[in-house]
Amino acid sequence: MATDTLKSTPGASGASGLRRLLLDNGALTALIVLVIAMSALSGDFLTTDNLLNVGIQAAVTAILAFGVTFVIVSAGIDLSVGSVAALSATVLAWSATSEGMPVVLAVLLAIATGIACGLVNGILISYGKLPPFIATLAMLSVARGLSLVISQGSPIAFPDSVSHLGDTLGGWLPVPVLVMVGMGLITAFVLGRTYIGRSMYAIGGNEEAARLSGLRVKKQKLAIYAFSGLFAAAAGIVLAARLSSAQPQAAQGYELDAIAAVVIGGASLAGGTGKASGTLIGALILAVLRNGLNLLSVSAFWQQVVIGVVIALAVLLDTVRRKAGATPVAAGTGGNKGKQAATYLLAAVVAAAVVGASSFLHSGSSEAKSQKIGLSLSTLNNPFFVQIRAGAQAEAEKLGVDLTVTDAQNDASQQANQLQNFTSEGLGTIIVNPVDSDAVTPAAKAVNQSDIPLVAVDRSVNNAATAALVASDNVTGGKLAAKSLAEKLGGKGTIVILQGQAGTSASRERGSGFAEGLKAYPGIEVVAKQPADWDRTKGLDVMTNLLQANPDIDGVFAENDEMALGAIKALGAKAGKSVQVIGFDGTADGLQAVEAGTLYASVAQQPTELGRIAVQNAVKAAEGDKVEKSVMVPVKVVTKENVAGFTG
Amino acid sequence: MSNADELLRIEGIRKAFPGVVALDSVDFDLRRGEVHVLLGENGAGKSTLIKMLSGAYTPDAGRILVGGKETRIHGAQDSERLGIATIYQEFNLVPDLTVAENIFLGRQPRRFGMIDRKRMEADAEVLLKRVGVHVSPRARVRELGIARLQMVEIAKALSLDARVLIMDEPTAVLTSEEVEKLFAIVRKLREDGVGIVFITHHLEEIAALGDRVTVIRDGRSVGQVPATTPADELVRLMVGRSIEQQYPRERADRGAALLSVEGLTRNGVFHDVSFEVHAGEVVGIAGLVGAGRTEVVRAVFGADPYDKGAVKVGGSFLPKYDVNAAMTAGIGLIPEDRKGQGLVLDASVEENLGLVTLRSATRAGLVDLKGQREAAAQIAGQLGVRMAGLGQHVRTLSGGNQQKVVIGKWLLADTKVLILDEPTRGIDVGAKVEIYQLINELTAAGAAVLMISSDLPEVLGMSDRVLVMAQGRIAGELPADEATQDAVMALAVSNPTNQKTGTEASRGH
Repeated sequence: MATDTLKSTPGASGASGLRRLLLDNGALTALIVLVIAMSALSGDFLTTDNLLNVGIQAAVTAILAFGVTFVIVSAGIDLSVGSVAALSATVLAWSATSEGMPVVLAVLLAIATGIACGLVNGILISYGKLPPFIATLAMLSVARGLSLVISQGSPIAFPDSVSHLGDTLGGWLPVPVLVMVGMGLITAFVLGRTYIGRSMYAIGGNEEAARLSGLRVKKQKLAIYAFSGLFAAAAGIVLAARLSSAQPQAAQGYELDAIAAVVIGGASLAGGTGKASGTLIGALILAVLRNGLNLLSVSAFWQQVVIGVVIALAVLLDTVRRKAGATPVAAGTGGNKGKQAATYLLAAVVAAAVVGASSFLHSGSSEAKSQKIGLSLSTLNNPFFVQIRAGAQAEAEKLGVDLTVTDAQNDASQQANQLQNFTSEGLGTIIVNPVDSDAVTPAAKAVNQSDIPLVAVDRSVNNAATAALVASDNVTGGKLAAKSLAEKLGGKGTIVILQGQAGTSASRERGSGFAEGLKAYPGIEVVAKQPADWDRTKGLDVMTNLLQANPDIDGVFAENDEMALGAIKALGAKAGKSVQVIGFDGTADGLQAVEAGTLYASVAQQPTELGRIAVQNAVKAAEGDKVEKSVMVPVKVVTKENVAGFTG
Repeated sequence: MSNADELLRIEGIRKAFPGVVALDSVDFDLRRGEVHVLLGENGAGKSTLIKMLSGAYTPDAGRILVGGKETRIHGAQDSERLGIATIYQEFNLVPDLTVAENIFLGRQPRRFGMIDRKRMEADAEVLLKRVGVHVSPRARVRELGIARLQMVEIAKALSLDARVLIMDEPTAVLTSEEVEKLFAIVRKLREDGVGIVFITHHLEEIAALGDRVTVIRDGRSVGQVPATTPADELVRLMVGRSIEQQYPRERADRGAALLSVEGLTRNGVFHDVSFEVHAGEVVGIAGLVGAGRTEVVRAVFGADPYDKGAVKVGGSFLPKYDVNAAMTAGIGLIPEDRKGQGLVLDASVEENLGLVTLRSATRAGLVDLKGQREAAAQIAGQLGVRMAGLGQHVRTLSGGNQQKVVIGKWLLADTKVLILDEPTRGIDVGAKVEIYQLINELTAAGAAVLMISSDLPEVLGMSDRVLVMAQGRIAGELPADEATQDAVMALAVSNPTNQKTGTEASRGH
């Protein structure tokens, strides 16, 4: 009899259907609120082009997240998807170019790689009884390492036929969006209709009950993680196709975005719940947010804060919705209305927070200055690039132009998104500091097509037209470093090299310049070469380890000042006395160490100058004035003698 | 109106959940130094009522008076402050902390900002002594058996200076010896002036321990009677009708042996276990908790491995440790831990019913969802599962209905040998009888049933043969007409290292 009273309620009028849909899905409400807020704040947001951009920008995260949905529904976790995506893309590019395999075979091999990684995860978890967190954490490292091994640290150009995957159909429909929708439908189908999909919910809900009901839990888990690997491979291929090159360092940290998308979409990390549609909405929320914040020129640092806050709010909204949703049937009672009101209230707060934060943070595009310029920096995690920004901002102020700065966080695909957003905003000029010279090509070509002049700063853009390149010469700098270090050591001795992040162009160029410069000094022997990822802490750790093996070295070349400073810490009293350290960049901290005598020299670039000159050229280009194709900002070896007169 | 001895009074309490009015105009009161039994079928609203006293729910209407003053209880802190302590069926203990740490969790005595271990353990020792349990305060809770866990919970309640102690089916998981011990403690607490709300399904416990009984039916309090009320009358109040027969076993014709187990051994757990179950027969397995009964049936079902022996179904050997082989052969297991092993709690009734048949309903990887739904609807109707709809989450069903879902999923799979491990634990009288009827239908249809139960009257009432296990061995076998409580208990506490003497001794009866 209780059955009957309930059955009658859902058949209510269709008018309340939409309201019900929104109440039942907190993430969808959050997405709609975001879209409305963004359209209200930026006239560039609600255009077909820009919405397609959002689709493209969501694609990789969404495809990864679909794979992770399977895992999370079955109460597991997969941290390896970002690395597996990079590995699959690398395998594809490597087998199709270096090994000359037919592209079809190469694609199959790449997908097989993804599945194999997933299967290994599954075996470790099912039969090795490792916790999923640990097994996939191990795979995160292994897959990333293998992709570096295969590519030898350099990006590999993608075969043209596969690069079409990053193109558009009929000139407007982007293939990544199609792939995303296709994978989404497959996910929904697998979860809803297939044996393995239904098993995922049972295993995630109660593994022991599933086992005692005859589900082959161990085998299912193999398949679940293999699915995740398969989707990661697909995401990797789409990502690399967009960049026309396979980056060994691509998709770092994407696993966290994917997990966030799944959870925003309403899945529980405890397992048993989750849907493909929710995951898609979660990925779209992240993409809309990044895109909108770019359009609104919110400061790069604040963007991260806003993204974090919105993730928390979206899930909070869903939690409140669930509590309210637990009592939808007993409508009419007072408490229920209160809870619904709470949901609306929270939605309003989210909206107000986003609108408020965005209008507060984006520094007045409303003031309508004459010229708008965008600058996409590879990272702002390093004083060098912060100085580029400072120089650029000072010059923009002086010239009275409106400058928007974004931070690509060393991620080529995020940079492609930012360039896309700049293009759809219709800026006067775009300045790019490429994360990678090859990977930026497709996005740069798109900028070319829109007739917006492109200025490269610090690193070049390959295979696309740039109005100007403003750079200091890394190869020459490397040679200069070799010369000064060798002469200081009297042409004789053993040295070690601390390399930057494997696969970055700066590391390659400085390293090759240094090697070339060293050829003139056969008495100098390089006893070790290890990467410390541009990072001071890692420089300290790696140097400490190297000293264990080579206690008697005479010199150190660090490919940037940060690592050099770490090395000096490791060397302790030896630094500047029995061991000479030479750095690169000439950052403020580096120059201070030069003055103190612990750092022998730094090959100083003039980042402020780079930023300044880049903006100068950008303004000229925007106004149609003639610009020099290549502006070389000189590098200088700064030692104790000349440090006093040098400022970055 | 207020009485000096009155600790607690509840007047006209109402609480509604989606689709269900859980409680409506319920009255209840508790005096110092009494054991007030709360009686009702599962789903009648007992749990909802005590959750309102512990602060987990707030009432929609009505008043709660504590010590004569009207109060609102908004959370665990409130109820703690009011001196109300609740011991749930699922214990709230942290397995990897010590007994003393668990007793004083969150209130550890501190000295200079550090936990004063010495004092905490000394205090815990006093409390444990008061409860009359010999456990070191430094023992890890994980190492304790279920009865001792309960004693630790009681000690924890005492440490809070509880004046009202609510016990939700404390005897459901205890052996009869342990129940006696528990009763002794409860009586002592009663002498100390503590008011005790005692929930139980065992009618005989009411007479043994209770002072007054409040009966709740379908969310309403239907009467308050003295504990000396005859059991028949209590049942009538509880189910609203009188139950003709508590154990309505109808013998079916005994057919060929469907399941034979030969010399099954897992070292250190069970040894040389052999028995047969025939078509149309109910074989009960009795014994003390820890005698190895659950372990044996799990091994037979392939859920756990075994070292020696063989399991045959219909004459062919089953591979060991292979649930799927056992299922294919037609064995089904209703596990002892319904929520932990039998159900996916946050999935719907439909999904749970379709779990076992998921594979057979799959063609080319696709599940026949429509067929699954029709089958689920049909079996749910046949079993009389009381639910809001097939989409209702099983977590929100009452215990008896949950158990029906677990049984239902095996019925859908055409199970020939059904193993029931504690099938009626925590289930009310009405639902119990329904499950017994189901067992009758199964055996009438030619299936074999193997039933473990710690409820002696149930084993005796429903089994055609009773196997008694003790210390991992079969201590003896009794035909239904020879099986008495005394005979079973004698075997259950015997020391059957040599199986032969055990069997002969039983035959001597």
